[in-house]
Amino acid sequence: MSSSEIQLSINGIHKSFPSKAGPVEVLKGLTFDVHEQDFISIIGPSGCGKSTIFNIIAGLLEADDGSLIYRGEKTKSLRGRIGYMMQKDLLFPWKTVLDNVLLGLKVRGETGQYAIDTAREYLSTFGLSGFEKAYPQTLSGGMRQRVALIRTLLMDPDILLLDEPFSALDYQTRLYLESVLLDAVATFKKTVILVTHDIDEAVALSKRVVALSTRPTLVKNVHEIDIERTSPIDARAHKNFSEYFNLLCSELDIQTKKDALV
Amino acid sequence: MSSSKLKSTAWLESHSGKFFIQFISVVGFFAIWQIAAQMGLVSEFLIGTPLGIWKKFIASVLDYSIFIDTGYTLWEALLGFVIGTVVGTILGLALWYSKWAAQITEPFIVAINSVPKIALAPIILLWFGTGLGAKVVLVVSMTAIIALIAAHQASKDADKDLQSLLFSMGGTKHQIFFEAIVPSSMPAIVSNFRINVGFGLVGAVVGEFISSKAGLGHMIYNASSLYELNSVWVGLFTLMIVGFCLYHCIDALEKYLFPWRSDDGRTQIRM
Repeated sequence: MSSSEIQLSINGIHKSFPSKAGPVEVLKGLTFDVHEQDFISIIGPSGCGKSTIFNIIAGLLEADDGSLIYRGEKTKSLRGRIGYMMQKDLLFPWKTVLDNVLLGLKVRGETGQYAIDTAREYLSTFGLSGFEKAYPQTLSGGMRQRVALIRTLLMDPDILLLDEPFSALDYQTRLYLESVLLDAVATFKKTVILVTHDIDEAVALSKRVVALSTRPTLVKNVHEIDIERTSPIDARAHKNFSEYFNLLCSELDIQTKKDALV
Repeated sequence: MSSSKLKSTAWLESHSGKFFIQFISVVGFFAIWQIAAQMGLVSEFLIGTPLGIWKKFIASVLDYSIFIDTGYTLWEALLGFVIGTVVGTILGLALWYSKWAAQITEPFIVAINSVPKIALAPIILLWFGTGLGAKVVLVVSMTAIIALIAAHQASKDADKDLQSLLFSMGGTKHQIFFEAIVPSSMPAIVSNFRINVGFGLVGAVVGEFISSKAGLGHMIYNASSLYELNSVWVGLFTLMIVGFCLYHCIDALEKYLFPWRSDDGRTQIRM
Protein backbone atom coordinates (compact mmCIF):
# COMPACT_ATOMS: atom_id res chain seq x y z
CA MET A 1 0.00 0.00 0.00
CA SER A 2 1.63 3.20 -1.18
CA SER A 3 -0.59 5.71 0.55
CA SER A 4 1.00 5.99 3.96
CA GLU A 5 0.46 9.71 4.34
CA ILE A 6 -1.01 10.58 7.68
CA GLN A 7 -4.70 11.39 7.53
CA LEU A 8 -5.46 11.78 11.20
CA SER A 9 -3.13 12.25 14.14
CA ILE A 10 -4.42 11.56 17.58
CA ASN A 11 -2.13 13.56 19.76
CA GLY A 12 -1.74 13.18 23.50
CA ILE A 13 -5.44 12.87 24.24
CA HIS A 14 -6.33 13.03 27.93
CA LYS A 15 -9.78 12.35 29.27
CA SER A 16 -11.09 11.88 32.80
CA PHE A 17 -14.59 11.19 33.96
CA PRO A 18 -16.00 12.37 37.25
CA SER A 19 -17.08 9.72 39.71
CA LYS A 20 -18.01 9.58 43.38
CA ALA A 21 -14.42 8.77 44.33
CA GLY A 22 -12.99 11.67 42.36
CA PRO A 23 -12.09 11.86 38.69
CA VAL A 24 -11.20 8.62 36.93
CA GLU A 25 -8.47 9.03 34.37
CA VAL A 26 -9.37 7.01 31.32
CA LEU A 27 -7.09 8.26 28.55
CA LYS A 28 -3.63 9.36 29.54
CA GLY A 29 -2.03 10.97 26.56
CA LEU A 30 -3.20 8.65 23.84
CA THR A 31 -1.23 9.08 20.63
CA PHE A 32 -1.35 7.30 17.30
CA ASP A 33 -1.61 8.08 13.61
CA VAL A 34 -4.14 6.96 11.05
CA HIS A 35 -2.91 6.78 7.47
CA GLU A 36 -4.83 7.58 4.31
CA GLN A 37 -6.93 4.55 3.41
CA ASP A 38 -5.77 2.83 6.52
CA PHE A 39 -7.56 -0.04 8.18
CA ILE A 40 -6.57 0.26 11.78
CA SER A 41 -7.90 -1.80 14.65
CA ILE A 42 -7.82 -0.77 18.27
CA ILE A 43 -7.69 -3.62 20.74
CA GLY A 44 -7.38 -3.46 24.45
CA PRO A 45 -8.76 -4.77 27.71
CA SER A 46 -12.37 -3.96 28.48
CA GLY A 47 -12.94 -0.61 30.09
CA CYS A 48 -9.77 0.85 28.61
CA GLY A 49 -11.67 3.65 26.92
CA LYS A 50 -11.86 2.43 23.36
CA SER A 51 -15.29 3.91 22.90
CA THR A 52 -14.16 7.13 24.59
CA ILE A 53 -11.62 7.67 21.81
CA PHE A 54 -14.37 7.25 19.25
CA ASN A 55 -16.66 9.62 21.06
CA ILE A 56 -13.91 12.24 21.09
CA ILE A 57 -13.22 11.80 17.38
CA ALA A 58 -16.94 11.94 16.62
CA GLY A 59 -17.38 15.09 18.69
CA LEU A 60 -19.65 13.49 21.27
CA LEU A 61 -17.10 14.12 24.01
CA GLU A 62 -14.47 16.78 24.46
CA ALA A 63 -10.94 15.82 25.33
CA ASP A 64 -9.48 17.39 28.46
CA ASP A 65 -6.17 17.83 26.72
CA GLY A 66 -4.45 16.91 23.48
CA SER A 67 -5.44 17.49 19.90
CA LEU A 68 -6.68 15.93 16.73
CA ILE A 69 -4.79 16.85 13.58
CA TYR A 70 -6.69 16.10 10.40
CA ARG A 71 -4.71 16.30 7.17
CA GLY A 72 -2.34 18.79 8.73
CA GLU A 73 -4.99 20.93 10.39
CA LYS A 74 -5.80 21.00 14.04
CA THR A 75 -9.47 20.23 14.59
CA LYS A 76 -11.78 19.83 17.54
CA SER A 77 -13.58 16.81 16.17
CA LEU A 78 -14.48 15.14 12.92
CA ARG A 79 -18.19 15.61 13.51
CA GLY A 80 -20.11 15.37 10.25
CA ARG A 81 -17.14 13.85 8.43
CA ILE A 82 -17.14 10.43 10.01
CA GLY A 83 -19.42 7.45 9.74
CA TYR A 84 -20.16 5.81 13.06
CA MET A 85 -21.23 2.18 13.45
CA MET A 86 -21.80 0.45 16.74
CA GLN A 87 -22.67 -2.98 18.02
CA LYS A 88 -26.24 -1.76 18.16
CA ASP A 89 -27.35 -1.11 14.60
CA LEU A 90 -28.88 2.22 15.66
CA LEU A 91 -31.53 2.02 13.00
CA PHE A 92 -34.51 4.24 13.62
CA PRO A 93 -37.38 1.80 14.23
CA TRP A 94 -40.01 4.17 12.85
CA LYS A 95 -38.17 4.69 9.58
CA THR A 96 -38.25 2.29 6.68
CA VAL A 97 -35.01 0.77 5.44
CA LEU A 98 -34.81 3.35 2.66
CA ASP A 99 -35.40 6.27 5.03
CA ASN A 100 -32.86 4.88 7.47
CA VAL A 101 -30.26 4.61 4.78
CA LEU A 102 -30.97 8.17 3.65
CA LEU A 103 -30.74 9.63 7.14
CA GLY A 104 -27.16 10.90 6.91
CA LEU A 105 -27.87 12.65 3.64
CA LYS A 106 -31.08 14.11 5.00
CA VAL A 107 -29.20 15.58 7.94
CA ARG A 108 -26.92 17.26 5.43
CA GLY A 109 -29.87 18.53 3.45
CA GLU A 110 -29.41 16.24 0.46
CA THR A 111 -32.86 14.87 -0.18
CA GLY A 112 -33.18 14.90 -3.95
CA GLN A 113 -34.02 12.10 -6.34
CA TYR A 114 -30.31 11.49 -6.86
CA ALA A 115 -29.90 10.55 -3.20
CA ILE A 116 -32.81 8.14 -3.40
CA ASP A 117 -31.49 6.54 -6.59
CA THR A 118 -28.05 6.10 -5.06
CA ALA A 119 -29.57 4.60 -1.95
CA ARG A 120 -31.55 2.08 -4.01
CA GLU A 121 -28.42 1.20 -5.93
CA TYR A 122 -26.48 0.56 -2.70
CA LEU A 123 -29.36 -1.49 -1.29
CA SER A 124 -29.38 -3.73 -4.32
CA THR A 125 -25.56 -4.03 -4.28
CA PHE A 126 -25.77 -5.27 -0.70
CA GLY A 127 -28.61 -7.67 -1.46
CA LEU A 128 -31.35 -5.67 0.19
CA SER A 129 -33.48 -4.64 -2.77
CA GLY A 130 -37.11 -5.43 -2.08
CA PHE A 131 -36.69 -4.38 1.54
CA GLU A 132 -36.82 -0.62 0.93
CA LYS A 133 -40.19 -0.25 2.59
CA ALA A 134 -39.58 -2.74 5.40
CA TYR A 135 -39.16 -1.63 8.99
CA PRO A 136 -35.92 -2.59 10.75
CA GLN A 137 -37.79 -4.72 13.28
CA THR A 138 -38.72 -7.18 10.56
CA LEU A 139 -35.10 -7.75 9.46
CA SER A 140 -32.50 -10.15 10.80
CA GLY A 141 -29.52 -8.86 12.78
CA GLY A 142 -27.17 -9.29 9.83
CA MET A 143 -29.50 -7.44 7.49
CA ARG A 144 -29.90 -4.61 9.97
CA GLN A 145 -26.15 -4.25 10.29
CA ARG A 146 -25.88 -4.16 6.49
CA VAL A 147 -28.46 -1.36 6.44
CA ALA A 148 -26.37 0.47 9.04
CA LEU A 149 -23.28 -0.03 6.87
CA ILE A 150 -25.03 1.35 3.81
CA ARG A 151 -26.23 4.34 5.79
CA THR A 152 -22.62 4.95 6.83
CA LEU A 153 -21.20 4.54 3.32
CA LEU A 154 -23.87 6.69 1.65
CA MET A 155 -22.74 9.67 3.67
CA ASP A 156 -19.37 9.25 2.01
CA PRO A 157 -17.50 9.91 5.26
CA ASP A 158 -13.74 10.49 5.39
CA ILE A 159 -13.29 7.92 8.11
CA LEU A 160 -15.42 5.01 9.26
CA LEU A 161 -15.49 4.53 13.01
CA LEU A 162 -16.60 0.99 13.74
CA ASP A 163 -17.21 0.17 17.40
CA GLU A 164 -17.47 -3.63 17.59
CA PRO A 165 -20.06 -3.55 14.82
CA PHE A 166 -20.31 -7.30 14.38
CA SER A 167 -19.92 -8.58 17.90
CA ALA A 168 -23.64 -9.21 18.39
CA LEU A 169 -23.90 -11.40 15.29
CA ASP A 170 -23.39 -15.11 14.85
CA TYR A 171 -20.09 -16.26 13.39
CA GLN A 172 -21.31 -17.00 9.87
CA THR A 173 -23.06 -13.65 9.50
CA ARG A 174 -20.03 -12.03 10.95
CA LEU A 175 -17.62 -13.57 8.43
CA TYR A 176 -19.96 -12.56 5.66
CA LEU A 177 -20.25 -8.97 6.88
CA GLU A 178 -16.50 -8.73 7.39
CA SER A 179 -15.96 -9.51 3.74
CA VAL A 180 -18.75 -7.11 2.73
CA LEU A 181 -16.97 -4.47 4.77
CA LEU A 182 -13.53 -5.20 3.28
CA ASP A 183 -14.97 -5.06 -0.25
CA ALA A 184 -16.80 -1.84 0.45
CA VAL A 185 -13.74 -0.22 1.99
CA ALA A 186 -11.63 -1.23 -1.00
CA THR A 187 -14.24 -0.08 -3.53
CA PHE A 188 -14.96 3.26 -1.90
CA LYS A 189 -11.38 3.81 -0.74
CA LYS A 190 -12.27 4.51 2.86
CA THR A 191 -10.21 4.80 6.00
CA VAL A 192 -11.43 2.60 8.82
CA ILE A 193 -10.82 2.67 12.54
CA LEU A 194 -12.22 -0.47 14.11
CA VAL A 195 -12.58 -1.03 17.82
CA THR A 196 -12.83 -4.70 18.67
CA HIS A 197 -12.16 -7.07 21.52
CA ASP A 198 -11.75 -9.84 19.00
CA ILE A 199 -8.10 -10.38 18.10
CA ASP A 200 -9.04 -12.78 15.35
CA GLU A 201 -11.14 -10.12 13.68
CA ALA A 202 -8.48 -7.45 14.16
CA VAL A 203 -5.80 -9.55 12.45
CA ALA A 204 -8.09 -10.74 9.66
CA LEU A 205 -9.21 -7.24 8.69
CA SER A 206 -6.57 -4.69 9.58
CA LYS A 207 -3.47 -3.29 8.05
CA ARG A 208 -2.37 -2.11 11.46
CA VAL A 209 -3.39 -2.91 15.02
CA VAL A 210 -3.08 -0.54 17.95
CA ALA A 211 -2.84 -2.32 21.28
CA LEU A 212 -3.87 -0.32 24.31
CA SER A 213 -2.90 -0.70 27.95
CA THR A 214 -5.25 -0.89 30.91
CA ARG A 215 -6.69 2.29 32.37
CA PRO A 216 -5.34 4.98 32.42
CA THR A 217 -4.83 4.11 28.83
CA LEU A 218 -1.78 4.56 26.66
CA VAL A 219 -0.85 3.05 23.33
CA LYS A 220 1.25 0.01 24.11
CA ASN A 221 2.24 -0.95 20.63
CA VAL A 222 1.29 -0.52 17.01
CA HIS A 223 1.66 -3.65 14.91
CA GLU A 224 1.80 -3.70 11.13
CA ILE A 225 -0.13 -6.70 9.91
CA ASP A 226 1.61 -7.87 6.80
CA ILE A 227 -0.97 -10.14 5.27
CA GLU A 228 -1.99 -9.91 1.62
CA ARG A 229 -5.67 -10.59 1.72
CA THR A 230 -8.54 -10.79 -0.68
CA SER A 231 -11.08 -11.77 1.95
CA PRO A 232 -11.18 -12.12 5.72
CA ILE A 233 -11.45 -15.86 5.31
CA ASP A 234 -8.24 -16.32 3.38
CA ALA A 235 -6.55 -13.84 5.71
CA ARG A 236 -7.28 -16.33 8.45
CA ALA A 237 -5.67 -19.04 6.34
CA HIS A 238 -2.52 -16.99 5.75
CA LYS A 239 0.73 -18.43 7.11
CA ASN A 240 1.44 -15.33 9.21
CA PHE A 241 -2.02 -15.20 10.72
CA SER A 242 -1.41 -17.32 13.78
CA GLU A 243 1.87 -15.58 14.47
CA TYR A 244 0.15 -12.20 14.66
CA PHE A 245 -2.71 -13.71 16.55
CA ASN A 246 -0.39 -15.10 19.21
CA LEU A 247 1.59 -11.90 19.39
CA LEU A 248 -1.51 -9.83 20.06
CA CYS A 249 -2.91 -12.42 22.43
CA SER A 250 0.16 -12.34 24.59
CA GLU A 251 0.03 -8.57 24.58
CA LEU A 252 -3.52 -8.58 25.87
CA ASP A 253 -3.02 -11.58 28.14
CA ILE A 254 -0.58 -9.78 30.36
CA GLN A 255 -3.09 -7.03 30.74
CA THR A 256 -5.99 -9.31 31.49
CA LYS A 257 -3.95 -10.95 34.23
CA LYS A 258 -3.28 -7.55 35.70
CA ASP A 259 -7.00 -6.90 35.48
CA ALA A 260 -7.68 -10.00 37.50
CA LEU A 261 -5.55 -8.72 40.34
CA VAL A 262 -7.42 -5.45 40.64
CA MET B 1 -65.61 -39.80 25.14
CA SER B 2 -62.38 -38.27 26.33
CA SER B 3 -61.69 -36.93 22.88
CA SER B 4 -65.00 -35.08 22.80
CA LYS B 5 -64.24 -33.64 26.21
CA LEU B 6 -60.91 -32.41 24.89
CA LYS B 7 -62.69 -30.92 21.94
CA SER B 8 -65.11 -28.97 24.12
CA THR B 9 -62.36 -27.38 26.25
CA ALA B 10 -60.50 -26.53 23.06
CA TRP B 11 -63.60 -24.79 21.78
CA LEU B 12 -63.95 -22.84 25.02
CA GLU B 13 -60.39 -21.60 24.60
CA SER B 14 -61.05 -20.45 21.06
CA HIS B 15 -62.00 -16.88 20.28
CA SER B 16 -65.72 -17.51 19.86
CA GLY B 17 -65.68 -19.80 22.89
CA LYS B 18 -64.27 -17.06 25.08
CA PHE B 19 -66.83 -14.64 23.76
CA PHE B 20 -69.59 -17.11 24.54
CA ILE B 21 -68.43 -17.51 28.14
CA GLN B 22 -68.23 -13.76 28.63
CA PHE B 23 -71.66 -13.27 27.09
CA ILE B 24 -73.20 -15.90 29.34
CA SER B 25 -71.61 -14.40 32.46
CA VAL B 26 -72.91 -10.91 31.67
CA VAL B 27 -76.42 -12.17 30.89
CA GLY B 28 -76.32 -14.27 34.06
CA PHE B 29 -75.31 -11.23 36.11
CA PHE B 30 -78.32 -9.22 34.89
CA ALA B 31 -80.66 -12.18 35.31
CA ILE B 32 -79.61 -12.63 38.94
CA TRP B 33 -79.97 -8.90 39.54
CA GLN B 34 -83.49 -8.89 38.06
CA ILE B 35 -84.63 -11.95 39.98
CA ALA B 36 -83.13 -10.72 43.24
CA ALA B 37 -84.96 -7.41 42.85
CA GLN B 38 -88.26 -9.07 42.05
CA MET B 39 -87.95 -11.42 45.01
CA GLY B 40 -87.28 -8.41 47.20
CA LEU B 41 -83.72 -9.47 48.10
CA VAL B 42 -82.42 -6.09 46.97
CA SER B 43 -84.28 -2.81 46.99
CA GLU B 44 -85.63 -1.92 43.58
CA PHE B 45 -85.95 1.66 44.78
CA LEU B 46 -82.28 2.07 45.75
CA ILE B 47 -80.63 -0.16 43.17
CA GLY B 48 -82.97 -0.32 40.21
CA THR B 49 -83.61 -3.30 37.97
CA PRO B 50 -82.28 -4.31 34.56
CA LEU B 51 -85.78 -4.27 33.05
CA GLY B 52 -86.47 -0.84 34.49
CA ILE B 53 -83.15 0.41 33.11
CA TRP B 54 -84.04 -0.99 29.71
CA LYS B 55 -87.41 0.78 29.70
CA LYS B 56 -85.81 4.09 30.64
CA PHE B 57 -83.19 3.56 27.98
CA ILE B 58 -85.79 2.96 25.26
CA ALA B 59 -87.73 6.01 26.41
CA SER B 60 -84.60 8.18 26.25
CA VAL B 61 -83.85 6.84 22.78
CA LEU B 62 -87.39 7.59 21.63
CA ASP B 63 -87.29 11.20 22.79
CA TYR B 64 -83.67 11.53 21.59
CA SER B 65 -82.60 12.83 24.98
CA ILE B 66 -79.90 10.17 25.35
CA PHE B 67 -78.29 11.25 22.08
CA ILE B 68 -78.39 14.92 23.03
CA ASP B 69 -76.92 14.26 26.46
CA THR B 70 -74.25 11.92 25.09
CA GLY B 71 -73.43 14.43 22.38
CA TYR B 72 -72.94 17.23 24.89
CA THR B 73 -70.70 15.21 27.15
CA LEU B 74 -68.73 13.68 24.32
CA TRP B 75 -68.19 17.05 22.69
CA GLU B 76 -67.00 18.64 25.95
CA ALA B 77 -64.71 15.72 26.70
CA LEU B 78 -63.23 15.46 23.21
CA LEU B 79 -62.76 19.18 22.66
CA GLY B 80 -61.07 19.53 26.03
CA PHE B 81 -59.02 16.41 25.51
CA VAL B 82 -57.75 17.50 22.11
CA ILE B 83 -56.89 21.04 23.23
CA GLY B 84 -55.35 19.87 26.49
CA THR B 85 -53.37 17.06 24.94
CA VAL B 86 -52.06 19.07 22.01
CA VAL B 87 -51.05 22.02 24.18
CA GLY B 88 -49.59 19.81 26.90
CA THR B 89 -47.68 17.62 24.47
CA ILE B 90 -46.17 20.54 22.58
CA LEU B 91 -45.09 22.22 25.82
CA GLY B 92 -43.75 18.96 27.22
CA LEU B 93 -41.67 18.27 24.13
CA ALA B 94 -40.54 21.87 23.94
CA LEU B 95 -39.10 21.55 27.43
CA TRP B 96 -36.52 19.17 25.93
CA TYR B 97 -35.23 22.07 23.91
CA SER B 98 -34.23 24.13 26.88
CA LYS B 99 -32.96 22.80 30.19
CA TRP B 100 -33.27 26.32 31.46
CA ALA B 101 -36.96 26.57 30.65
CA ALA B 102 -37.51 23.11 32.11
CA GLN B 103 -35.90 24.13 35.38
CA ILE B 104 -37.90 27.33 35.66
CA THR B 105 -41.23 25.67 34.95
CA GLU B 106 -40.62 22.58 37.07
CA PRO B 107 -41.95 23.98 40.39
CA PHE B 108 -45.09 25.21 38.64
CA ILE B 109 -45.63 21.86 36.95
CA VAL B 110 -45.19 20.03 40.25
CA ALA B 111 -47.54 22.46 41.99
CA ILE B 112 -50.25 22.27 39.34
CA ASN B 113 -49.94 18.52 39.16
CA SER B 114 -50.32 18.22 42.93
CA VAL B 115 -53.69 19.96 42.97
CA PRO B 116 -56.60 17.64 42.24
CA LYS B 117 -57.96 19.48 39.22
CA ILE B 118 -61.52 18.72 40.26
CA ALA B 119 -60.97 21.16 43.12
CA LEU B 120 -60.61 23.91 40.53
CA ALA B 121 -64.05 23.20 39.11
CA PRO B 122 -65.96 25.80 41.17
CA ILE B 123 -63.52 28.59 40.22
CA ILE B 124 -63.53 27.56 36.60
CA LEU B 125 -67.33 27.69 36.59
CA LEU B 126 -67.17 31.13 38.19
CA TRP B 127 -64.77 32.35 35.51
CA PHE B 128 -66.17 30.65 32.47
CA GLY B 129 -69.84 30.39 33.24
CA THR B 130 -72.11 27.40 33.12
CA GLY B 131 -71.92 26.64 29.41
CA LEU B 132 -69.67 24.55 27.24
CA GLY B 133 -66.63 26.75 27.84
CA ALA B 134 -66.31 25.93 31.51
CA LYS B 135 -66.43 22.17 30.96
CA VAL B 136 -63.85 22.36 28.20
CA VAL B 137 -61.56 24.45 30.38
CA LEU B 138 -61.98 21.97 33.21
CA VAL B 139 -61.06 19.08 30.92
CA VAL B 140 -58.11 21.03 29.52
CA SER B 141 -56.86 21.70 33.04
CA MET B 142 -56.98 17.97 33.78
CA THR B 143 -55.46 16.66 30.57
CA ALA B 144 -52.87 19.30 29.67
CA ILE B 145 -50.66 18.74 32.68
CA ILE B 146 -50.75 14.97 32.28
CA ALA B 147 -49.89 15.24 28.59
CA LEU B 148 -47.12 17.69 29.42
CA ILE B 149 -45.52 15.41 31.97
CA ALA B 150 -45.86 12.37 29.72
CA ALA B 151 -44.32 14.16 26.74
CA HIS B 152 -41.49 15.62 28.77
CA GLN B 153 -40.67 12.25 30.30
CA ALA B 154 -40.84 10.54 26.90
CA SER B 155 -38.48 13.11 25.42
CA LYS B 156 -36.03 12.47 28.24
CA ASP B 157 -36.29 8.71 27.68
CA ALA B 158 -35.53 8.95 23.96
CA ASP B 159 -32.68 6.69 22.87
CA LYS B 160 -29.42 8.54 23.59
CA ASP B 161 -27.48 6.49 21.04
CA LEU B 162 -29.75 7.60 18.21
CA GLN B 163 -29.22 11.19 19.29
CA SER B 164 -25.46 10.65 19.41
CA LEU B 165 -25.54 9.15 15.94
CA LEU B 166 -27.39 12.16 14.54
CA PHE B 167 -24.99 14.48 16.32
CA SER B 168 -21.95 12.67 14.94
CA MET B 169 -23.48 12.99 11.46
CA GLY B 170 -23.42 16.74 12.02
CA GLY B 171 -27.08 17.03 12.93
CA THR B 172 -28.29 20.22 14.58
CA LYS B 173 -30.33 20.33 17.79
CA HIS B 174 -33.35 21.08 15.64
CA GLN B 175 -32.73 17.96 13.52
CA ILE B 176 -32.15 15.79 16.57
CA PHE B 177 -35.45 17.06 17.98
CA PHE B 178 -37.48 16.28 14.89
CA GLU B 179 -35.67 13.13 13.74
CA ALA B 180 -35.15 11.42 17.10
CA ILE B 181 -36.91 13.05 20.05
CA VAL B 182 -40.37 13.60 18.59
CA PRO B 183 -40.83 10.28 16.79
CA SER B 184 -39.41 8.22 19.61
CA SER B 185 -41.63 10.03 22.13
CA MET B 186 -44.82 9.59 20.14
CA PRO B 187 -45.67 6.03 21.25
CA ALA B 188 -45.51 6.95 24.93
CA ILE B 189 -47.45 10.15 24.26
CA VAL B 190 -50.20 8.41 22.32
CA SER B 191 -50.35 5.57 24.83
CA ASN B 192 -51.06 8.22 27.44
CA PHE B 193 -54.09 9.35 25.43
CA ARG B 194 -55.90 6.39 26.97
CA ILE B 195 -55.59 7.88 30.42
CA ASN B 196 -56.33 11.37 29.21
CA VAL B 197 -59.45 10.47 27.27
CA GLY B 198 -60.77 9.00 30.50
CA PHE B 199 -59.94 12.22 32.33
CA GLY B 200 -61.77 14.07 29.58
CA LEU B 201 -64.96 12.26 30.54
CA VAL B 202 -64.32 12.81 34.25
CA GLY B 203 -63.90 16.56 33.71
CA ALA B 204 -66.98 16.83 31.53
CA VAL B 205 -69.19 14.88 33.93
CA VAL B 206 -67.99 16.69 37.04
CA GLY B 207 -68.49 20.02 35.29
CA GLU B 208 -72.04 18.96 34.48
CA PHE B 209 -72.66 17.86 38.07
CA ILE B 210 -71.89 21.33 39.31
CA SER B 211 -73.88 23.27 36.80
CA SER B 212 -75.36 22.39 33.45
CA LYS B 213 -78.39 22.22 31.24
CA ALA B 214 -77.60 18.99 29.42
CA GLY B 215 -75.13 16.11 29.25
CA LEU B 216 -74.82 12.68 30.80
CA GLY B 217 -73.50 14.15 34.06
CA HIS B 218 -76.52 16.43 34.16
CA MET B 219 -78.82 13.49 33.54
CA ILE B 220 -77.20 11.32 36.21
CA TYR B 221 -77.21 14.12 38.78
CA ASN B 222 -80.83 15.05 38.19
CA ALA B 223 -82.05 11.47 38.15
CA SER B 224 -80.28 10.60 41.36
CA SER B 225 -81.70 13.62 43.18
CA LEU B 226 -85.12 12.33 42.12
CA TYR B 227 -84.25 8.75 43.20
CA GLU B 228 -84.70 7.63 39.59
CA LEU B 229 -82.09 4.90 39.92
CA ASN B 230 -82.93 3.32 36.59
CA SER B 231 -82.20 6.59 34.79
CA VAL B 232 -78.94 6.93 36.70
CA TRP B 233 -77.92 3.52 35.39
CA VAL B 234 -78.81 4.48 31.83
CA GLY B 235 -76.42 7.41 32.15
CA LEU B 236 -73.71 5.29 33.73
CA PHE B 237 -73.94 2.53 31.14
CA THR B 238 -73.85 5.09 28.35
CA LEU B 239 -70.73 6.63 29.87
CA MET B 240 -69.24 3.16 30.08
CA ILE B 241 -69.90 2.56 26.40
CA VAL B 242 -68.54 5.98 25.45
CA GLY B 243 -65.38 5.37 27.48
CA PHE B 244 -64.97 1.93 25.97
CA CYS B 245 -65.31 3.25 22.43
CA LEU B 246 -62.85 6.09 23.04
CA TYR B 247 -60.34 3.64 24.49
CA HIS B 248 -60.58 1.48 21.39
CA CYS B 249 -60.32 4.51 19.14
CA ILE B 250 -56.95 5.18 20.76
CA ASP B 251 -55.97 1.57 20.11
CA ALA B 252 -56.87 1.95 16.46
CA LEU B 253 -55.04 5.28 16.30
CA GLU B 254 -51.92 3.62 17.71
CA LYS B 255 -52.01 0.83 15.15
CA TYR B 256 -52.48 3.39 12.40
CA LEU B 257 -49.74 5.75 13.58
CA PHE B 258 -47.10 3.18 14.46
CA PRO B 259 -47.13 0.41 11.87
CA TRP B 260 -43.48 -0.23 12.71
CA ARG B 261 -44.42 -1.32 16.21
CA SER B 262 -46.78 -4.09 15.19
CA ASP B 263 -45.18 -7.12 16.74
CA ASP B 264 -45.14 -10.45 15.01
CA GLY B 265 -46.34 -12.41 18.01
CA ARG B 266 -42.95 -13.95 18.62
CA THR B 267 -42.41 -11.81 21.67
CA GLN B 268 -45.47 -13.10 23.50
CA ILE B 269 -44.94 -15.57 26.29
CA ARG B 270 -47.45 -18.27 26.86
CA MET B 271 -47.85 -19.00 30.55
